[in-house]
Amino acid sequence: MVLIALMIGVFVLLVLLPFFVSGYWVRLFTHIFMYAVLAESTNILMGFTGLVPFGNVVFFGMGAYLTAILMGNGIPFFLAILIGAVISFLFTLAIGHPILKMKGHYFAIATMGVSEAVKQITTNLDITGGGSGLNIAPLQLPEVQHVYLFFYFLMFLILILTVLITFFISKSRMGYALRAIKANEEGAKSIGINAPLFKMLAWAMSAFLTGLTGGVFAYWMTYIDPPGVFDIVIAVKFIIMILVGGSGTIMGPLLGAFFIEFISELVWSKFLVFHLTILGGIIVLVIIFMPKGFIWFYRKRFTLSALLENVREGKV
Amino acid sequence: MLIMQTIVNGLLIGGVYGLVAVGFSLVWGVANIINLTHGVFVLLGAYISFWLFKLYNVDPFLTIPLSMVSLFLLGFFIQKYLLNYVVRAGVFMTLILTFGLARIFENQMIVAWTGDWRTVTTSYAGSGLAIGGVSIPYIRIAVFILALLFCMGLNTFLNKTKVGMAIRALTFNVEGAIIVGIDIGKIYAITFAISAAMAGAAGSLISTMYSFSPFLGTPYLSWSFVIVVLGGLGSIYGAIIGGIVLGLIESFTVLTIGPGYQVAIGFVILVIFLILRPQGLFGKKFLT
Repeated sequence: MVLIALMIGVFVLLVLLPFFVSGYWVRLFTHIFMYAVLAESTNILMGFTGLVPFGNVVFFGMGAYLTAILMGNGIPFFLAILIGAVISFLFTLAIGHPILKMKGHYFAIATMGVSEAVKQITTNLDITGGGSGLNIAPLQLPEVQHVYLFFYFLMFLILILTVLITFFISKSRMGYALRAIKANEEGAKSIGINAPLFKMLAWAMSAFLTGLTGGVFAYWMTYIDPPGVFDIVIAVKFIIMILVGGSGTIMGPLLGAFFIEFISELVWSKFLVFHLTILGGIIVLVIIFMPKGFIWFYRKRFTLSALLENVREGKV
Repeated sequence: MLIMQTIVNGLLIGGVYGLVAVGFSLVWGVANIINLTHGVFVLLGAYISFWLFKLYNVDPFLTIPLSMVSLFLLGFFIQKYLLNYVVRAGVFMTLILTFGLARIFENQMIVAWTGDWRTVTTSYAGSGLAIGGVSIPYIRIAVFILALLFCMGLNTFLNKTKVGMAIRALTFNVEGAIIVGIDIGKIYAITFAISAAMAGAAGSLISTMYSFSPFLGTPYLSWSFVIVVLGGLGSIYGAIIGGIVLGLIESFTVLTIGPGYQVAIGFVILVIFLILRPQGLFGKKFLT
């Protein structure tokens, strides 16, 4: 009950927020929502099946580029992002079969390879504008403030959609099937779970949402280039957010995204020169003391002994 | 003649690719750590050479021992005081931790040496051999030979010394190694230190041929991934052969498809190898 009340409270707060704060905060929160969607959608695969998609940023880039190219050819925005998302979905179905057979490192590196290959090809094609990137005609509204609000609420809507999808997957037969695969794939197969199909669906769903967000990002930024939207560092960031928050939980990736983006923005504005050092330091500390994530720490009631127990467990 | 030149270029650059990847492969094979700071270690080696050359006019080839010793110590401390605390928590934890470390080093390099491109231009940089229309700079020959010597030295160390054999024992059976009294924390630290030292040597060698900036850590890391998958995990000669194969593939891609596509082809080959032959050309399967 308390949890539901809390969620409704946060929801109302976030709906009202952009009307009371400056454009800077609206943009920061739009950014946080974007990363929350990306982390949560990556979590559909990573959290439930344990496969770590190192190159999931490829769908972000594909969504962004497809939206930019389609809009350049006169296709309206909402149709363009939808096409981008559907093509990302279909792309996983095309490459999923051989790649999802791999486990652990194999899978992580293969997805990274796909992502880097697509990035390099994008950098060299004419239709994508090569290394110099693409411009998108910006959204024209009577007031600049309205443009901010448009993207704020659009990202918020996609975030709610993503959380609902994750929630339903986790409660559905598919969620149980995915967890069974995570625990023991051979065992899951032996009781009749179609493991390849469920893994493929989970990855395709995460690709769909990531592609959709990429499209919105392109229209929001009005300019994209290959290093900006295919950066492997972005993909690693999703994974860090999931780990910081708690893998396989629904709230974990959201908290992780909020924490990492908020801290990195604060650090960036206060310590311009050393911000990467401080961010890197935070990552190092979190991994050493809280490798199971914030949700786990909450369940342990934030005790110091739980943190030290982690250090002892991991040490060789 | 163009074909001959392409082969020579690919072959010679392949040696140093192999040296970049060999330490990455070793740490992954022995300690099951995917070290994302490896590219940064290469760069640190290059910057040490750059600094000594610029400040004291020391020949970059003579700076190799200092690069190796500095990075050996750095690697040892990183493994002993950071990575050893999370090794058992799983491979993705160490991966994220090294990601964080790489960001710290990248930041510090920008603070120390700015983001500018740096070069080490020696007096003999332009001279070379010309055999039947194929030109081969002396520096590239020297770099190739040194890279091979370092890898052979590492191989001898792993096969002939007690510490080397302890390192190899850990790739086969960790529990068995503990039973016979191997201090795995210490061996991991030494392995990581050797890997960093190899990266430092590779960095010093690279500084004689190419310009570099603090942002090149990720490309060096990408080479290492492709080479390890090509050559096979934990295999020293696999890394060298993988490096040479990658060098040849890259130079032939430039010749046939055009510059710009060589990295894409490298990654496509990586994915194909993972699907069809995950143990690489020579190595064994990945630890999972």
